[in-house]
Amino acid sequence: MAQPHMVPAAHDTALIAAWQAGDEQAAAELVRRHARPLARFLASAGAPDSDVDDLVQETFIRAFRSVDRFRGQCQFRTWLLTIGGNVLKDFGRRAARRKVLPLDEAVRDVTGDPHEHAEAREAEAMLAAGLQQLPRLQREVFLLRAQQGLEYAEIAAALATTPGAARVHYHHAVRRLKEIVK
Amino acid sequence: MNDRLENLAKQLGTDAANRLDVEATARKVVERLREQPVRRIAWVQRTWLRIAAALVLVLGGAVVASRLTPGRRPGVSAHPAHLVADDLGDLSTDELRDVLATFDELISPDSVAVPEGSTDLHELDAQQLRAVLRSLEG
Repeated sequence: MAQPHMVPAAHDTALIAAWQAGDEQAAAELVRRHARPLARFLASAGAPDSDVDDLVQETFIRAFRSVDRFRGQCQFRTWLLTIGGNVLKDFGRRAARRKVLPLDEAVRDVTGDPHEHAEAREAEAMLAAGLQQLPRLQREVFLLRAQQGLEYAEIAAALATTPGAARVHYHHAVRRLKEIVK
Repeated sequence: MNDRLENLAKQLGTDAANRLDVEATARKVVERLREQPVRRIAWVQRTWLRIAAALVLVLGGAVVASRLTPGRRPGVSAHPAHLVADDLGDLSTDELRDVLATFDELISPDSVAVPEGSTDLHELDAQQLRAVLRSLEG
């Protein structure tokens, strides 16, 4: 199930060091490498499609500004995804204050004629809606594991928990999602 | 079922990811980093300003409260003796005893300056009671 990382960690580390030394192109390269997986993670975690671009940018800005705190405890991408989770949480709070469409409703907003959607598409929509019903930690562990293909040890390092706890969160998430998507 | 869930999870968000213009995003991120190199200094300045404003509010509130609270004015003792001593001359013997009885409750017995030879305030006449009260004024 777990997929090998496409980007060697050492390479990312070198780019981070170059960015810290003032190389803007190193930052741009890191964005190129990780922007799409980050967008996929954010969209799956409840970001409205129209805001994914902004949230991706905000996540990278926040990551580059606090990159001194990245100590290589996990892959750069994993660390980036956890920052994305925080950015999305802040976005949700702001959206709630502005009383705009809540995230979960935005996720459920599958437009078009239902008959035109394939069964898989409907199941995806159900899964997306189900993910919004999970506690944040369960949702993020599930996505990091099932979508990003990370090992429990890697997830645990990024979320400051233990591999055993990450495994438990994952299984709780799967059990609840099965009830929703069956 | 687990495999199905995982396959569905891998499909989630692919549309949004495919729509993302990665080059444009990289360019915008670099531009934003260039335009706002480090907001840390601004953040620190803002934080200190907030702390200073909070201190001013707290100190100002304390000053106002101290001026509005009776007996807490600067230069005026909060001791009740001052509130009654101004009118000691107008008080009768019984009233003076009542005042002293109140002091008994407020001040420890050791601090009351009772004239030599006297052990009970009831044995004192009006002049002696006035003397005791004035001694309490400090």
